Amino acid sequence: MIPLSLSPQGTVMTIKSVGGKPEIKRHLESLGFSCGSQVMVTSVLNGNVIVKIKESRIAISGEMARKIMV
Amino acid sequence: MNIRIALAGNPNSGKTTLFNNLTQSNQYVGNWPGVTVEKKEGKLRKHNDVTVVDLPGIYSLSPYTEEEVVARNYLLDEKPEVIINIVDGTNLERNLYLSTQLMELGIPFVMALNMMDVVRKNGDRIDTKALSNSLGCPVVEISALRGENTLKVAEDAIKEAQKGRRTPAPIFSSNIEKVISYIEEKAAFKCSESEKRWYAIKVFEGDQKVLEKVKIENYALSEIKKEVENVEVEMDDDKESIITNERYSYIERVVKTSYKKKSNGLTVSDKIDTIVTNKYLALPIFALVMWLVYFVSVSTIGTIFTDWANDGVFGDGFYLLGIGRSAYEESVEEYGTAESVVNAFGEKLGLEAVELDEDSLEDILLSTEKDGVASYILQDEETLSEEEIEVTYTELVESVDILSSYNYSEPEPEEYGPWVPGLPVLIGNGLEAIGCSEWLMGLILDGIVAGVGAVLGFVPQMFVLFLFLAVLEDCGYMARIAFVMDRIFRKFGLSGKSFIPILIGTGCGVPGIMASRTIENEKDRRMTIITTTFIPCGAKLPFIAMIAGSIFGGASWVAPTAYFLGMFAIITSGIILKKTKLFSGDPAPFVMELPSYHTPTVKNVLLSMWERGWSFIKKAGTIIFLSTIVVWFTSFFGFAADGFRMLSEEELDYSILGRIGSLIAWIFYPLGWGNWQAAVASITGLVAKENIVGTLGILYGAEGSAYAGISAAFSKVAGLSFLSFNLLCAPCFAAIGAIKREMNSAKWTWFAVGYQCLFAYLVALVVYQFGSLFTGNVNVLLLFVAILVAAYFLYMLFKKERKVGV
Repeated sequence: MIPLSLSPQGTVMTIKSVGGKPEIKRHLESLGFSCGSQVMVTSVLNGNVIVKIKESRIAISGEMARKIMV
Repeated sequence: MNIRIALAGNPNSGKTTLFNNLTQSNQYVGNWPGVTVEKKEGKLRKHNDVTVVDLPGIYSLSPYTEEEVVARNYLLDEKPEVIINIVDGTNLERNLYLSTQLMELGIPFVMALNMMDVVRKNGDRIDTKALSNSLGCPVVEISALRGENTLKVAEDAIKEAQKGRRTPAPIFSSNIEKVISYIEEKAAFKCSESEKRWYAIKVFEGDQKVLEKVKIENYALSEIKKEVENVEVEMDDDKESIITNERYSYIERVVKTSYKKKSNGLTVSDKIDTIVTNKYLALPIFALVMWLVYFVSVSTIGTIFTDWANDGVFGDGFYLLGIGRSAYEESVEEYGTAESVVNAFGEKLGLEAVELDEDSLEDILLSTEKDGVASYILQDEETLSEEEIEVTYTELVESVDILSSYNYSEPEPEEYGPWVPGLPVLIGNGLEAIGCSEWLMGLILDGIVAGVGAVLGFVPQMFVLFLFLAVLEDCGYMARIAFVMDRIFRKFGLSGKSFIPILIGTGCGVPGIMASRTIENEKDRRMTIITTTFIPCGAKLPFIAMIAGSIFGGASWVAPTAYFLGMFAIITSGIILKKTKLFSGDPAPFVMELPSYHTPTVKNVLLSMWERGWSFIKKAGTIIFLSTIVVWFTSFFGFAADGFRMLSEEELDYSILGRIGSLIAWIFYPLGWGNWQAAVASITGLVAKENIVGTLGILYGAEGSAYAGISAAFSKVAGLSFLSFNLLCAPCFAAIGAIKREMNSAKWTWFAVGYQCLFAYLVALVVYQFGSLFTGNVNVLLLFVAILVAAYFLYMLFKKERKVGV
């Protein structure tokens, strides 16, 4: 398991766990970041990442990307 | 029967477009999430008893964001008769997550499948029938943008509403469903049959708000908890995640039967994003886009429009399409120079004033020696800077010829092209024709027309800018700006999008403040509004030039210093304010959906431009209008030697404003310029910053050159302090009006203006007192205060921020 922030660009990964405070975790899950979902990092910029998940592009900060394990 | 249809769906899925279509209204639609924060209502077209409610875009019903709270409360408390769930077909799975929650509410439910044209274009397929069968609700394919099937989905919704509420179907795996039924039984909810399932699921998740509301008996609650804990152990997961995963696996089953995806590769938007948000290209691309926006809306087209509005419509007048303007301007300059030359020689001969006619000019020519020289002072209109120009006898001869070619009278604008006189000229002529009294003319022309002009003069430029912002938003780039700039600006407590208001603010603070509208986070937006006007705007430039010219002998470092000061103020204010109670906490981690890129639609762009421009005229207009009248009255009325009366422009010394200036001048004593002239100039600067130049010109220019007067009145350090204060203090009334409009709260407007003035005061204080150390005029007490201020400032700047974990 590695954090999403370290996931190689352009490779499809599977989410293993989502950490963080409950409400943020819930918010991430409603955006599609649930266990077992496929996710792909498309860009990395200054630690923030853009990922593709369930057909949408989501930009998340580095600190949150570190709490999503793939 | 009165029916309320609630439109619910993910952000950016087309709810507002559908709403506009169904109600034939013109709500602004943005291509970034979070356009609707409050719900909007309208009547369904062709159905007067049906209300459509547009809810903010949400990802789920769990209250995380402001939008989700608004939507959830409406659905639970107001209980609309039917929900239309608008679903973005290109992102089916994620959109269905919200649908599973909406269907649980027991409210009749219709799904509107939007953006099917894009789905087909991508080569994907959605089997609407299969989807409808597995979800157990009507599914209608629509195109909200082109208005296809929109009325049909509304009519289907009405039919569903008439069938009444019903119990939602179980969708989770059997072991979870067993616990849900168990909870329904044990908890004995006092609600209708159709709502029981929703409450049961919330109790399963342990939702605090719901638990407080339903008041389950203690013994029942503990048994329920035991059951839930058993499931948690069994599935090795926490209860909330269990439900989330159940939802997603249900969605997976639904999608499997009804959705065929052609490709798994990157979409066009993904490909654009890999370039636009690329590590190396992101900033250059951003800089290029910003340069383009700035170049067009501030320095070229925008300025042309502003000049036209300020100097043309609300000035002397303008040429239609600019025909003849340059010829007229050349003539005016030629005539003016000739007149100055003749006057210069006339003065040399000891004449008090030169009559401009053939005979007196002939006299001057005859009495001047062939090798005689004279000089005159050329004054710059904007900055009042002066330059001495030497002229010879040959130039005198030429000038006399020129004057005679103009028949000794100034060129009239009408002779050079299709001239349209400005409003003040037209109104002035009209008032003169009806024999209006002088003070009323003054009120109407200098007070009202000038006041309204000050508001409307900026409107054309704002429209140009808003057009650009609308295009950036609509095509989807705006959302990326936030991403690209986030890291840098986050450090100062600002948003990535704060860059745009500040950049625009270098042209004019009014559209700059208005541009902050695109920042979703309220704290970031407020912070941006407060700090935007620190950067010197176009109107402050003549003032900066005047101070540089008069006090610093035209030193070239003054103007760049003004910009550095502005940036310094923005950055330090950001850092400091972020540490105060008002702005601290909630360092909401950056999570944002990036919409797909698409070509902006003309209608949407124009609507957005119009909506913003109009709201400025309407709401900011009043405050600007009233305050300009007050300043006009206090500067043109006062107690002269012959009692209270209206004053001419040169008699500002006697005005009420002058009195006020003397009364408050002591406030500025610690800043080094505690004289009433400087205080009055600062007040008139509130109407428009370029007024400072005019006021100082009148007050110090009475005897000879204004520049000489100013440099005599201000020491260099005091000049720097005066400059700092006026650059940073409250902006002009137009900008304050914009602040009020954007803050949408009197309290926050006062806070912004108060903070700006206080900050300006303290900076000027520190500048003057520390500067005085070098010049030797030390006031020990004030220096001590300045040291305290500077120390507190540094302490706030470097104090550790209260960390709030993610």
